[in-house]
Amino acid sequence: MSVPPEQHDDPIPARAGVGLKPEHYADILDGAPDVGWFEVHAENYMGEGGPPHHYLTAIRSRYPLSVHGVGLSIGSDGPLDRAHLARLAAVCDRYRPGLVSEHLAWSTHDGTYLNDLLPVPYDDETLRRVAEHVDEVQSTLGRQMLLENPSTYVQFESSDLSEIEFLTELVKRTGCGLLLDVNNVFVSATNHAYDARAYLDAFPVEHVGEIHLGGHAEDRDDGDARLLIDAHGSAVADPVWDLYAHAIARTGEMPTLIERDNDVPPWPVLEDEARRAERVMRARGSNRVSAR
Amino acid sequence: MQRVFARSVLDAARTVPDGVTSHTGPRPKRRFDVYRNNVYVSLIDVLAGRYPVILRLVGDDFFRAAARCFVEACPPRSPVLMEYGDGFAAFLEEFEPARPLPYLSDVARLEWAWNRAYHAADRQPLSADDLAPIAAEDVPRLVFELLPSVSVVSSPYPVFSIWSTNISDVEVEPIDLASGGEDALVVRPHLEVEVRRLPHGAVGFVSALAEGACLAAACERAMAESPEFDLQTNIAGLIASGAISGYRLPGGTEI
Amino acid sequence: MDKSVKTASTLAVAGAFAAALTMVATPGAVSAADQEKCYGIAKKGENDCKAGPGTSCAGTSTVDYQGNAWKLVAKGTCTTVKTPHGPGSLTELKRP
Repeated sequence: MSVPPEQHDDPIPARAGVGLKPEHYADILDGAPDVGWFEVHAENYMGEGGPPHHYLTAIRSRYPLSVHGVGLSIGSDGPLDRAHLARLAAVCDRYRPGLVSEHLAWSTHDGTYLNDLLPVPYDDETLRRVAEHVDEVQSTLGRQMLLENPSTYVQFESSDLSEIEFLTELVKRTGCGLLLDVNNVFVSATNHAYDARAYLDAFPVEHVGEIHLGGHAEDRDDGDARLLIDAHGSAVADPVWDLYAHAIARTGEMPTLIERDNDVPPWPVLEDEARRAERVMRARGSNRVSAR
Repeated sequence: MQRVFARSVLDAARTVPDGVTSHTGPRPKRRFDVYRNNVYVSLIDVLAGRYPVILRLVGDDFFRAAARCFVEACPPRSPVLMEYGDGFAAFLEEFEPARPLPYLSDVARLEWAWNRAYHAADRQPLSADDLAPIAAEDVPRLVFELLPSVSVVSSPYPVFSIWSTNISDVEVEPIDLASGGEDALVVRPHLEVEVRRLPHGAVGFVSALAEGACLAAACERAMAESPEFDLQTNIAGLIASGAISGYRLPGGTEI
Repeated sequence: MDKSVKTASTLAVAGAFAAALTMVATPGAVSAADQEKCYGIAKKGENDCKAGPGTSCAGTSTVDYQGNAWKLVAKGTCTTVKTPHGPGSLTELKRP
């Protein structure tokens, strides 16, 4: 399909942003920190009123905003939840975000919401269905969306495409953009024993509109192999920073989000991580011309 | 595929579905368990955030076990988790290990009312000045519009006292269940949710107003339910709590 | 209802309403009357996109707490609430 023109009036700059948590509303409004933008999970702003809307409205009037959905279940083998898509559209109408993104995953089956980003097999049938869903989201929202590469813990015997082949073909069919989660790349590459740098080298970077950085936890699998978990409960790990530098050299300077959902630390900790991301971005991102 | 996957995620007694694999072997249980944990732990965490007083009353182990059973029996039907957990009070009423703590479900009702108020639509409360111009002869026929955040919780247990000491005190106050029942009004006039202990008879009065009864009819119902009901105090309390957002006269003025 | 009674109650309602407006406008009058009030705490329980803590805990247990085979004991502040049967001790549940 052809993607309609962007209608937002406040684009996300090529700077570091931070995932907005209620714990930090006051720090942000009182301290006016110099961060490029904020991102929210759309579902937390689907209530009718109250403090969430009050604070987000105030923050939105001072910073660009990205809306990141976590509950649309784009990878579902059933139809999209139209009521939920309408709620997402209402959040976008109200806050006019610079970017809108969701996950390559499913979370709802038969009306039961499982509150996790569950994996899909990479095959033609899934590709066709996900492409239909992305088309539906983009035509309902009247704008391009970004789709995020997942953290996965298992694979499917029925997969006959690589994740990158899947995403590349999806972009071709729908005109959507990609959200490159570098921590997810590291988690999935470790969990499935492939090379994260090679993955990044093959990633269709010309379609990336945003990068995510978050922390992970470590465990062992049934065969005592390393098993990483996308826990968002700790600082970005050193190998993920290295991968980020590698990624940013390919994408060029790119909006980059610091995500923390578990054990949310005091605001200055996240602000420091955002500064580190900007230093990496400034140092490595200028290589883009040669990378293209 | 997703039907089998979802069932296995929700029920740990089921095997890992066919076709699920990994580089260290097919149908990897520990890997699949990550999804099982994500689903249950995240939803138990949602309930722990929503019911902090229940959590403090029963402690972490009891709460997480009860919440685990609730999630299994009533998983979310919407991706919007601020709406999740409505049935927890009713669940606790039937939850066998909670039988010796019969006040738990009413405390849970109060916490749900708090959550509801937090996310309810915003309205500006009316002040005494806004109500002053109403002519005396119109007063009995007045129908009030209450804020969308308003609810009342009525209990045969001291539910307000239990809730308030557990939500705000470092050392909780001892409470005697024999001290009698309490009713609470939950309202969010501005940004903060407020919980107030209601005087006797007020539950019937506020409930009647919420159902659209006029002032005289609500007063009659309250007096029928409680001879101690005092109309002046109750009207003053309702205005002072910021619970009234508008009024109308049948066939007349609307504000 | 007798007409005079109805008029009297109409007057009573109007009078109480007028007195209530005065009361609200008088500082301290309402809170002295009955307005015991308490706030809650900042809200948690949100949607996010984190994962749980690993491979072995809540999601993988299959315990039936509804039956009487398992002891599940409340160990929170419920012990300060004096029930007619003593504080909440939930061991050895018996079913009729």
